[in-house]
Amino acid sequence: MRTSISRTVARILQRLALFALMLWIVSVVIFLALRVLPGDVAAIVAGTNSTQAQYEALRTQLGLDQPLIVQYGRWLGQVISSLWTGDLGTSLITGEAMSTRLASRAAVTFPLILLSMVIALVVGIWTAVASLTSPRAWVRDGLRVLAQVCGAVPALWAGLLLILAFGRGSGLLGVLPTQGFSSDSLVSAAASLLLPALSVGLITGAQFSRYTRSALLEVEKDDYLTWSMAAGMTYAQAVRSTGLRLATPQIISVAGVTFASMITGVLTVESLFNLPGLATILLSDISERDLPAVQTELLLLAAFFLAVGFVIDVVQAWLDPRMAGVSRGTEVQS
Amino acid sequence: MILRSLIRRWDGLLPLIFVVLWALVGLVSLLWTPYALTDTDGYSVWAAPSAAHVLGTDGAGADIATWLMAGSATEFAIVVAVIALTAVLGVGGVALSVAHSARVRSVSVLVIDALISIPTVVIALILAAPAGASVLAVILACSIVYALNLMRVVRPAAAAAARSQYVVYARYKGVSEWRIFVQHILPQVMPSVIITVSHSAATAILAESGLTYLGIGVPAHVASWGQSLATAARFVTLHPATAIWPGLLITVAVIALNILGDAVRECADPLTNPLLRGDRTQEVKN
Repeated sequence: MRTSISRTVARILQRLALFALMLWIVSVVIFLALRVLPGDVAAIVAGTNSTQAQYEALRTQLGLDQPLIVQYGRWLGQVISSLWTGDLGTSLITGEAMSTRLASRAAVTFPLILLSMVIALVVGIWTAVASLTSPRAWVRDGLRVLAQVCGAVPALWAGLLLILAFGRGSGLLGVLPTQGFSSDSLVSAAASLLLPALSVGLITGAQFSRYTRSALLEVEKDDYLTWSMAAGMTYAQAVRSTGLRLATPQIISVAGVTFASMITGVLTVESLFNLPGLATILLSDISERDLPAVQTELLLLAAFFLAVGFVIDVVQAWLDPRMAGVSRGTEVQS
Repeated sequence: MILRSLIRRWDGLLPLIFVVLWALVGLVSLLWTPYALTDTDGYSVWAAPSAAHVLGTDGAGADIATWLMAGSATEFAIVVAVIALTAVLGVGGVALSVAHSARVRSVSVLVIDALISIPTVVIALILAAPAGASVLAVILACSIVYALNLMRVVRPAAAAAARSQYVVYARYKGVSEWRIFVQHILPQVMPSVIITVSHSAATAILAESGLTYLGIGVPAHVASWGQSLATAARFVTLHPATAIWPGLLITVAVIALNILGDAVRECADPLTNPLLRGDRTQEVKN
């Protein structure tokens, strides 16, 4: 027991070190990617009417005349020190503080991600279980077909269809807002997030349902379910209690991958429904060539997803001790 | 042999017909489309379907059918490129992650585990931020992410194969590491490679539509199904009919690729396809 705990701790430490290493590599990649581009930040900020001297002064002010390594060091230093100062610099175009700008946008995007994920998990797990345990064959088959079809819908189209069906003003059942975000009250905020979250959540749930179903079938191959049924459970009970518990590590790992693929959809519907989230700010910064801002935003985004991967990995090791050695490529040589 | 057993089953034949039609339409569009892509009819914007414009026109007066036809070519190219790149990168990664050298193995597994959580859209943003939207960025972003996923999915089976007696024996006989992988390990994991790659192809279509709408996918002057959907999305409440066709095409294509992948897997796996087993015994006899 003790060795397994120390192995888990060792694994967590190892993953933490790896997380830092990956983040560093990603930061170098992002920095270099944005330096090889055509387009000069100083020229854009200075505008077309500036003199050569103004332009030179701006270059010095932005540190663009320094060698790349110094620029990189400054940037990294600022991002790291922002952990306690909360200062990520200011936007070159609007002059706003980056941190307040990002925080207000994240306050829309993260609830949207969370809501979509909850919808996806509930819909996915529920339909996967029902597609195995429902006593009616047409329900089982219907759910499988539905999962296959709904999982193939692009988030953008799902959003459009939902707008046409439920959108206020234009939809058949004009009940829900389709444009913008209202933070007047919790209810109105939730209402403006509901359709976007449904667009992403339902299709992600459908994809998730297929994976969960095959994970459950995988568990069924072993004798656990048969034993549970021998102990007096019905098939449905066995799937729900024994099957789901045993499939949990696999479901979590699939949830991690599905989560990453869901983000494209989240950003898409965010911009379709005109929500003031991270997508709008990121895309406008890119099109306005506010590269220092883009650079920091991309790094934070990558850091978020690396952190999610880290958490999933740790939770998984904790839930399934069998996984402890497996995923590290150090399995016992037989 | 695989093809023959594939067209004997409905879940192989139907998606195959769709994919062939898709490729044909794409090919034709390279030579002929009803209108030129840049043709806009300023007097009939948002026109309803008619003899002149089979599926109507969009907000700029461009022919929707023309854009969808030309989009088929782009979409097909993207899918083929993603399949090829994902397979090459993914299988290469699997080879590293089951390599004989323990150091290569653990380093590559660690890297795969750490990078797997980076979503397509972030890589697409990193690629598109300096260079602008391009088809190549879409292909690269999708392939990198799906190859990592393939490595993670296929690795356990490959690792089991790498520990098998015949691999140990081959190594004693002095067979090179690369040959061992290609001849003894790869065939074992081929079914799951096929299925993962086909799901990647399907997901690439979905990703393309999302990235293009965000402005970091296919550039505005290039036709693609995602492009048509994005164009329709802007005025969907006024002209909902224009959004139907691209959305439907994308959905059907994704379903077709998913089902086709499942069918190909079953047909290419000797365990599930008796025809292949018959073939193999004949080979041994000869």
